Amino acid sequence: MPASPSPRPIVALRGIGKVFPGVIANADVDFDLLPGEIHALLGENGAGKSTLMNVLTGIYRPDSGAILMDGKEVAFASPVEAIAAGIGMVHQHFKLVRAFTVAENVHLGWKETPRLASKSVLEARTRALSERYGLAVRPEARIDELSAGEQQRVEILRVLARQARVLILDEPTAVLTPAEARVLFKALRAFKDAGNSVIFISHKLDEVMEIADRVTVLRGGRKVLTETTENCTTTKLAQWMVGREMVLGGLREAIVPRSEAGRIVLALDHVSASDDRGRKGLIEVDLPVRAGEILGIAGVAGNGQRELSEVLTGIRRPDSGRILVEGVPLDDPSPDVFLELGVGHIPEDRIKSGIAPSLPISDNAVMRAYGEAPIAHGIFFSPKAADALAKQIADDAAVTIPSLRTPIRNLSGGNQQRLVARREMRIARLAIVAAYPSRGLDVGAISTLLHYLIDLRNQGVAVVLISEELSELFDVTDRIAVMFKGRVMGLYETKDADLERVGLLMGGQTQQTEAA
Amino acid sequence: MALHFVRSPVVSSARALTARVIGFVLALGLGALVLGIAGFDSLHLGRQIIVKSLGSQFGLEDLGLLYTPLLLTGLAVTVMARMGLWNIGADGQFYLGAFVTTAIGLFIKGPEPFMLVLMFFAGAAGGALWILVPTLAKAYAKVDEIITTLLLNFVALLLVYYVATGPWRDRVSGTTASTGRVPYKMPDFFGSLHWGFVIALAAPILFALALRYTKWGYEVRLSGANPDAAHYAGIPVRRRLITIMLLSGAIAGIAGMLEVAGTVHRLQGGISNNYGYLGVMVAVLARGSALGVIAGAFLMALILNAGIILQTQGLTTSAVLALTGLIMLFTAIADQFAHYRLVRPRAATA
Ligand SMILES: Nc1ncnc2c1ncn2[C@@H]1O[C@H](COP(=O)(O)OP(=O)(O)OP(=O)(O)O)[C@@H](O)[C@H]1O
Ligand SMILES: [Mg+2]
Repeated sequence: MPASPSPRPIVALRGIGKVFPGVIANADVDFDLLPGEIHALLGENGAGKSTLMNVLTGIYRPDSGAILMDGKEVAFASPVEAIAAGIGMVHQHFKLVRAFTVAENVHLGWKETPRLASKSVLEARTRALSERYGLAVRPEARIDELSAGEQQRVEILRVLARQARVLILDEPTAVLTPAEARVLFKALRAFKDAGNSVIFISHKLDEVMEIADRVTVLRGGRKVLTETTENCTTTKLAQWMVGREMVLGGLREAIVPRSEAGRIVLALDHVSASDDRGRKGLIEVDLPVRAGEILGIAGVAGNGQRELSEVLTGIRRPDSGRILVEGVPLDDPSPDVFLELGVGHIPEDRIKSGIAPSLPISDNAVMRAYGEAPIAHGIFFSPKAADALAKQIADDAAVTIPSLRTPIRNLSGGNQQRLVARREMRIARLAIVAAYPSRGLDVGAISTLLHYLIDLRNQGVAVVLISEELSELFDVTDRIAVMFKGRVMGLYETKDADLERVGLLMGGQTQQTEAA
Repeated sequence: MALHFVRSPVVSSARALTARVIGFVLALGLGALVLGIAGFDSLHLGRQIIVKSLGSQFGLEDLGLLYTPLLLTGLAVTVMARMGLWNIGADGQFYLGAFVTTAIGLFIKGPEPFMLVLMFFAGAAGGALWILVPTLAKAYAKVDEIITTLLLNFVALLLVYYVATGPWRDRVSGTTASTGRVPYKMPDFFGSLHWGFVIALAAPILFALALRYTKWGYEVRLSGANPDAAHYAGIPVRRRLITIMLLSGAIAGIAGMLEVAGTVHRLQGGISNNYGYLGVMVAVLARGSALGVIAGAFLMALILNAGIILQTQGLTTSAVLALTGLIMLFTAIADQFAHYRLVRPRAATA
């Protein structure tokens, strides 16, 4: 953005304040969105980013302050009114109707939806929209068949179809593959070039530097500053977010060198498993996991990682092959068996299987410990002991909690993730399977999390780290396996692995495979 | 800008209660108005209802006898709602409980306390048995429980009609629509109000305590809130679903048992008095809370009792039914309205 006299903002927030029982989510926030800009909103987990956007789109009513659109004060009673005025939001957790098709979701609750329209009409209209905005979707597909990236395109299409001038994206790239992210960025640039504006929430600072024109940083619910991206560096951004110098890194140094390879504690032997749609998810996978190592699983999301993590923790039963624990095959792998063995699991889809959003924080925090003392006494369950443990987990995870009785869905996305990660690390005596554990976490929290995983490894726990961030994998793992289309394409000692080759394998190109 | 409504997703319980009271009063007001136009003395009718149901021992006894089965059927539906399931078949399970109780009472001889205990457990088993097939169909084949439980109501009704007018017909008094008198009866403690009332009142409290203070209760809450998360936590979700459905059926069966052994003392075609269906309404009023059932069932009992009183005052059953519907409708509307508040946008500060 040129620094010359700025045009009138499309949206201006003035002194926005929002308080929840026990939490100040936003305090006195000013925010300007100019026409034709991509404006990033940054801040630590729980800084109030999602809340501010929920206030703007009428999900919450601000306790103080005003919202101006094109200079006129507005107050949206609901997101429906916001979208009618041209402001559309795609949430951190998608809000599509899973049993409906793409075309039906795009047309749901839209006043321009033709009455009594047939399926084919809706699908044709959706196809036209998809071409107009350069967002490839399959109009006839059901939502629950779609990858996260496809679902997100549907959400965006829903918003754009309603002639939005302002598009708000809450952590859009957290669940996208790098390729899907590139497609998204292209669409965003096209949208912006047409004179529209985007508010972009993300924890990935590189990405923010790449896509945003200006950045606003929030800390503890208050605005720190707004700056043009040209005047920012990732270091500076991180510093503004936490309010002090941040010491990141030091990961490699924390890894205690091994003299010899640890014993194999968990192993897959020729394991095949189906995915939710009954197709082959894992094919003939052999994977030994050793005590005291971090085994990285590289690969583009959706290539069998979910099935792998679920088979390794008893949630999904293999169709064939054996799962061995300390060399002994399990004849009845089920989640409680793995719990007993001390295998933690940070699941890929936290909302779907990691937590019960409507239950209190306390109930969610004790999911792995409710069956033992001090929470259980015989058949009894002690809410008081549960609260005490929940409090401890929250403290360890550095999450401030207004009340243990509030439903966990009221926590910020990143704070939910922190709690789940701590809960699982607590029970990981033998192993932990961490699927994309840094999703939704701020930079500081990612560093803390990786340090904790290294600590576990140093104590002799086997750590399986599934990630799409190659840099993260190369930073902390001892060995790296690459997955493609349900197969393990190769297994390397990280120190001998070559970034280039791993990248090629992730794309399915094999010249030679070697095993470590 | 004009005033407008803003919807807030969460409602404090004080607000929800206030809205309901207002809704209730409005429904009564509207009902009174219509009755007034139709030539009734609404004030007099209202006074009659209050005096007759709350102002005398007889009134309170009647109220208690209506309250008892509603507590249990409301709880039965609520128990299953905790797992995200609808038991529309509480009426059928009620019939089965009553049927089994009568069978035992008519054909087995024994000391009364022993017989009552036997009837209690048999009634529970009868109700549980009646939901067994829907339970297994749900647990193993994901068959929708709403349809299966509902359909079995008609089977139970026919069964009871058949035995009450056929093989078990009362041959002593010569009535054609009911069985003979069951010789064992629940002891009374307040006029005609029997100890079944105390059992029915204790049941929701026990269930609420079990949900909060037992491991099983925690597992049920988690399984109901998110089955995938419960599976992930190592909980046998299917087994919990089966126990919950059978428990729900058993509770409705106990309602039937108490109705025979405590209130009616014989089996007859209309013995369920729609308590099973009314239980669904009670559960809706209670919004999934076991303790809410105590309040919801009380309101429902008051309405039913008022209906009976109004009939003695010359109103037709359909008028009474319309009035009942009006109250339910206004309560539902009030529940929605509790989410909204009127706001006046503040003046611009920029
Ligand atoms: N409905 C709610 N009820 C109570 N507290 C809430 C509610 N919504 C948000 N909060 C609290 O407000 C604070 C800000 O949350 P918000 O979701 O805006 O954070 P965020 O900046 O989006 O964080 P993240 O990066 O983790 O998504 C948090 O402490 C959160 O617990
Ligand atoms: Mg957020």
